[in-house]
Amino acid sequence: MRSTDTKSARRAWYRRPQRGLMAAAAAALLALPVAGTLLPATAAQAADDTQAVQKGGTLDIILNPEPPILILGLNQQAPTQLVGGKIYEGLLRYDHDLNPLPGLAKGWEISEDGLTYTFHLRENATWHDGEPFTADDVVFTAKTFTPETNPRWRLIFSHVDTVEAPDDHTVVFNLKEPFPAFIIGLGVTNMPIMPAHIYEGTDYNDNEMNDTPIGTGPFKFVKWEKGSYVHLTAYDDYWQDGRPYLDDIYFRIIPDAASRALAMETGDADISQFGNIEPFDVPRLSKLPNLELTTKGYEMFAPMAWIEMNTRKPPLNDRRFRQAILYALDRGFIRDNIFFGLGRVATGPINSVTTQYTPDVQKYPHDPEKAKALLDDMGLEPGSDGVRANVEFLVMPYGEVWTRLAEYIKQAMGKVGVQVTLRSTDSAGWAQQLSNWDYQMTNDYVYQYGHPALGVARTYISDNIRKGVLFSNTMGYSNEKVDELFAKAAVENDDAKRAQMYAEVQKILAKDVPVAWLLEMEFPTLLNKRVHNAVTTAIGTSDNFADVWVEPKQ
Amino acid sequence: MSREFWKAFARNRGAIIGLIILAGVVFLALFADLLYPTSPWDMVTRPFAPPLSAGTLMGSDTLGRDIASGIAHGARVSLLIGLTSTAAALLIGVTLGALAGFYGGRVDDAIMRFTELFQTIPNFVLAVMLVAIFTPSITSVTASIAIVSWPPLARLARGEFLSLRSREFVQAAITTGQSTPSIILREILPNSMSPIIVAASLTVATAILLESALSFLGLGDPNMMSWGYMIGASRTVMRQAWWMSFFPGVAILITVLAINLVGEGLNDALNPKLARKGKG
Amino acid sequence: MGKIVSFLGRRVVKSLFILLAIVLINFALIRAAPGDPALVIAGQSGASDPQYIEQLREKFHLDEPLPQQLWTYVTDVATGDLGYSYRQQRPVWDLIAERLPATLLLTGIAYVFSLGMGLLLGTLAAVKVGRWSDTAITTIALLAYATPLYWIGLMMILLFSVQLGWLPAFGYQSVGAGLTGLDHFVDVAAHLVMPVLTLGLFYMAVYARLTRSSILEVRDMDFVKTARAKGLPERRVVVRHVLRNAVLPVITFAGIQAGYLIGGSILVETVFAWPGVGRLAFDALLQRDYQVLLGIFVVTSIMVLVFNIITDLVYTLIDPRIEVS
Repeated sequence: MRSTDTKSARRAWYRRPQRGLMAAAAAALLALPVAGTLLPATAAQAADDTQAVQKGGTLDIILNPEPPILILGLNQQAPTQLVGGKIYEGLLRYDHDLNPLPGLAKGWEISEDGLTYTFHLRENATWHDGEPFTADDVVFTAKTFTPETNPRWRLIFSHVDTVEAPDDHTVVFNLKEPFPAFIIGLGVTNMPIMPAHIYEGTDYNDNEMNDTPIGTGPFKFVKWEKGSYVHLTAYDDYWQDGRPYLDDIYFRIIPDAASRALAMETGDADISQFGNIEPFDVPRLSKLPNLELTTKGYEMFAPMAWIEMNTRKPPLNDRRFRQAILYALDRGFIRDNIFFGLGRVATGPINSVTTQYTPDVQKYPHDPEKAKALLDDMGLEPGSDGVRANVEFLVMPYGEVWTRLAEYIKQAMGKVGVQVTLRSTDSAGWAQQLSNWDYQMTNDYVYQYGHPALGVARTYISDNIRKGVLFSNTMGYSNEKVDELFAKAAVENDDAKRAQMYAEVQKILAKDVPVAWLLEMEFPTLLNKRVHNAVTTAIGTSDNFADVWVEPKQ
Repeated sequence: MSREFWKAFARNRGAIIGLIILAGVVFLALFADLLYPTSPWDMVTRPFAPPLSAGTLMGSDTLGRDIASGIAHGARVSLLIGLTSTAAALLIGVTLGALAGFYGGRVDDAIMRFTELFQTIPNFVLAVMLVAIFTPSITSVTASIAIVSWPPLARLARGEFLSLRSREFVQAAITTGQSTPSIILREILPNSMSPIIVAASLTVATAILLESALSFLGLGDPNMMSWGYMIGASRTVMRQAWWMSFFPGVAILITVLAINLVGEGLNDALNPKLARKGKG
Repeated sequence: MGKIVSFLGRRVVKSLFILLAIVLINFALIRAAPGDPALVIAGQSGASDPQYIEQLREKFHLDEPLPQQLWTYVTDVATGDLGYSYRQQRPVWDLIAERLPATLLLTGIAYVFSLGMGLLLGTLAAVKVGRWSDTAITTIALLAYATPLYWIGLMMILLFSVQLGWLPAFGYQSVGAGLTGLDHFVDVAAHLVMPVLTLGLFYMAVYARLTRSSILEVRDMDFVKTARAKGLPERRVVVRHVLRNAVLPVITFAGIQAGYLIGGSILVETVFAWPGVGRLAFDALLQRDYQVLLGIFVVTSIMVLVFNIITDLVYTLIDPRIEVS
């Protein structure tokens, strides 16, 4: 019953056929750099590899919740990405600084004017059913398949004029205008390359092959035992010789949070990611001798948590009021006591791991006196009960952490004389009230997808004030200068000019406080120490794991 | 409600103890603001302070809120919801039960079917759903508790009315041409009060438990500190900080126990015949 | 025998009517729930443009008129389709079905435990009225009556798992232990101890008190006096005459209590991370996943109905005098 006394018995539970381990030396030889295009890739990965690579073995990854489908092109939720990211590949991958790395495209050129993107594809890549991978697959995926199935790609693709395949292994995108964010949007999380020979001309959602995903990735689908596990095995004809190192990956579906923590503790599972482990359990688990914690590998998602304020309603329409809120909050306390140390106090609208971030903006340290001064300045004098203003706060229904956060905000704002009334609701009600602007304050967190043009501008530009649409500019913030800067910067081809525009817009926003940024959220990835190379890119454990290797289980 | 009543009540030692405890809880509820003038939500000290440290009696919770203050203020919510939801349940239950018992026949049939339906539905599941769907607030919590608590009261009232209806004084009232509402309210109801009062006191106790269970699941009014909430919110850190969930639990236990004891005393005092039988 | 069959038939028909009423209540509740589910799913997939939301509405029949939706819902439930969990992206019935065995195991054992222990303790207390064991049993019953059962569970974990390390704190079995045969049985049993105690304690108290007062009532009745007068041994009198009759009201009551037991399992499964329907309900609650909650509501109601029928049957078996009517 206690975790240790049944160790040997536990083994039997997933004894699976193991391929013979190859000699470590041979494995090391195979770990030669990829046919040369960009260097930072291999450099970044090699850094972790001080030990000799061991080939073979099995990896157990926690999968929660169970995805509805494994066809990554049809569903972009995190669990689908985790599994689908091993089966499918995108044109590019990205390192932790969001520099593009080769993926299915082994190299690429961007024309001087920023209008033409030419990608050279892997010549020896094949689909798991043996069909060769060609430029047709890329054209089909980019032009036909993904615009229909992924709203996020639709936004990116709206900047594209034509997609052409001059030969079997070259694809050319011609853009309508320069759109530097384009190069960030070609990963497997946005546009996994789908097999044209299976999907072209069919009803994608009803395709009979939807139960057996066929990709080009290092692992191919074996079995999905619903409610229990997904089994992938190494694809022998993977385009990169000697990869993958692993023989098998099992994604273990464990719906209960306590059991997930236990599985990590006992070594039954090797990897957990995103919200798999409850925040309060993270400090304890990360101290265990067999586990290590990393918060890297979420740069592409870069979630930013904030207090959203309906700027249509007084007193929230006054910038000083919103600034006062930021001064009133001790965001370090929030990070330490509510998020159990996970996250970084945000400085402005752009997450510091997203491109184009600048720290050079107005800062809001915890300073209740300053908050009071701002409120005084607005003419909001405290009444006989000490209350200056009343606001309603809609508690985001996404779990205990957010409830605690709302309670904290209520108290902290009460200290400066703003009385907050909490209102709970369900997720549907929350979505409805937020998207229909029927709220005063609430929490939210939004992914930034690596580039302000992809995941940041949408929150602040007035074009995106769209009633009924979630994750749009629901607070109704409107500033012509901001609109102009975001619009210009998105299509500015000159790096320096673009950086300058983004810096300026961040300065303006940090002063205006259209939302009160709390934390650049960090997700905990827990890894068993026997696992190597698991987190090497901006999408962390959602990447393809071709380079991942494991020491044998103890 | 005379000396006789008190004598019978006082003969039950448990009831007296219960009454004293209950008085204490009521006192706590009434004077919570004086004992702990700051809001129980205030982060007054460092988080995770154990009892008798950092200026607290019972320690602080994960955000540094004073547990003792929460217990004092939580007494209010518990009593308030316990009493109001019982009042509402009485209103529904006694009305339906009275109608069913008085009119009999089809009315009785229909009402009893309806009551049966509500007794079949797993009551806690229903309460959880009602509060979840109508969003947690003091009103929705009270209403849901009332909705799941009335059926036993209705059955009880029906039984009383059924047996009293055939008694001479009621028949006499009918022949003298008293109006039906007046017969129900003036003649039968006062005579069936005793068992209903006893049942109501037990309903208050159950209502407090129900409220605490709802709050424990995160279905309390988010603006009101309640005991169940305190336990639910600190459940996840129980390994590190036992006090956060221990004291509120004791508070619930003591309060509910006191009410049950008082209920038994009432039973002894109001239904002497029944009581004697029960005691053997 | 024929009588029992026709009795059963009538009970089933009645239960079906109750079920229909519950389904109607359910539908009314779905409608009462605020918010547009399509918006929520759209939000979760990270992007929400009108085209996508329309697709979702169509997929889940949210664009149809209300009577049409009601009809669809009733026929769906009749065919075992309890809807679709937007959040978990799986059919509700699948989610419940995989959790059902654990809950049946827990509530079943807790039911047997509480009834058995309740009868035993209640009888003991009645036989020894006024002695210390009676007082002890009555006091325990009173305490169990007043304690929030989720709190008992937490305190037991503190004591038996955290402090003493005797029993596993949560779960259904040791994760991935791969135990088989007797080991597996012992493992699950160890995991069951605290949840069953927690869930059963309150009802044990209820049954004990009920048994006690019921026995005290029965034992002065004429037929008992007759039996005693005939010189039957006291033990025999208690078991054959007193207990057999005194147990009837307890069983009736236990039938009614079945619903409460299932309600209580939400709390107990939450505390002990027991992978049953109650835990599912709690998770659904946290995420306000109404489809799942409503599905659980229907399924638990059916469980109660079935339970009630079984109780009635047991009643008729124990009491041969009773006319099945």
